[in-house]
Amino acid sequence: MRFMIIVKSSGNCQTAAEPDGKFVAEMRKFNDELAAAGVLLALEGLHPGAQGARIRPAAGKWKVSDGPFAETKEMIGGYWLWQVNSQDEAIEWVKRCPIPAHGETEIEVREVLDAEQFAAQLAPAFSRRTQRAAA
Amino acid sequence: MRFMVIVKATRDSEAGMPPDEKLLKDMMAFNEELVKAGVMLAGEGLHPSSKGARVKFSGQSRTVVDGPFAETKELIAGYWMWQVKSREEAIEWVKRCPNPFAIDSEIEIRQVFESPELTDNADILRKEAELRQKSEQNARR
Repeated sequence: MRFMIIVKSSGNCQTAAEPDGKFVAEMRKFNDELAAAGVLLALEGLHPGAQGARIRPAAGKWKVSDGPFAETKEMIGGYWLWQVNSQDEAIEWVKRCPIPAHGETEIEVREVLDAEQFAAQLAPAFSRRTQRAAA
Repeated sequence: MRFMVIVKATRDSEAGMPPDEKLLKDMMAFNEELVKAGVMLAGEGLHPSSKGARVKFSGQSRTVVDGPFAETKELIAGYWMWQVKSREEAIEWVKRCPNPFAIDSEIEIRQVFESPELTDNADILRKEAELRQKSEQNARR
């Protein structure tokens, strides 16, 4: 199973903040362990939300709003993509993640739809199309 | 430059409702255009938050909270990773995206850090490249 592990902004991610050296070293070690265990598939860090944009439909058009955005706690700071055997295994790995020295933080664990699950979810739509194609 | 394009959740996505056939076709056509233009690097959809969990870190304590989570419009339903030349180009592509849900929704774009933006230490950059190489190998397995 693949999981997206979402690291929430710790309140300082709307603006760039230099993480301390000890935390960076611990995080590097944690990433190396994930990679060696075959768990790590991808990882990315995001620029502060202040530089981002949000686009939403309004009256049939897309409306663009530039950052910064109000709800810092819900902003994404970065993510990993992990391959594990269960959600419990993903949570156990998260618990081993180093904690930044400043502030509270939150990590969200969300299973990724794999192609088969996606197809199953869409099965009614797909089977209708397949039946039409076969007819 | 690379952008993470985040599709926010809606009541429908949180209920696990699949997209209808027309939207699915429109979205597939949009994805094909992104691929053809060399913009698309990756894309994933997520299960509803009811199946997810959060781990809260405070000091040295870690608390696990099971989903679902309340603030639907701040949750992620899925994302793309795009390679574009500018923020404006990313926004232009988003504007061409079919509305991902039958109801109102929101897409957020955030630039991704490239390793050289974070450090000029050659040793760290080399290790970072090795880490990415190893994760790509894991992904191909």
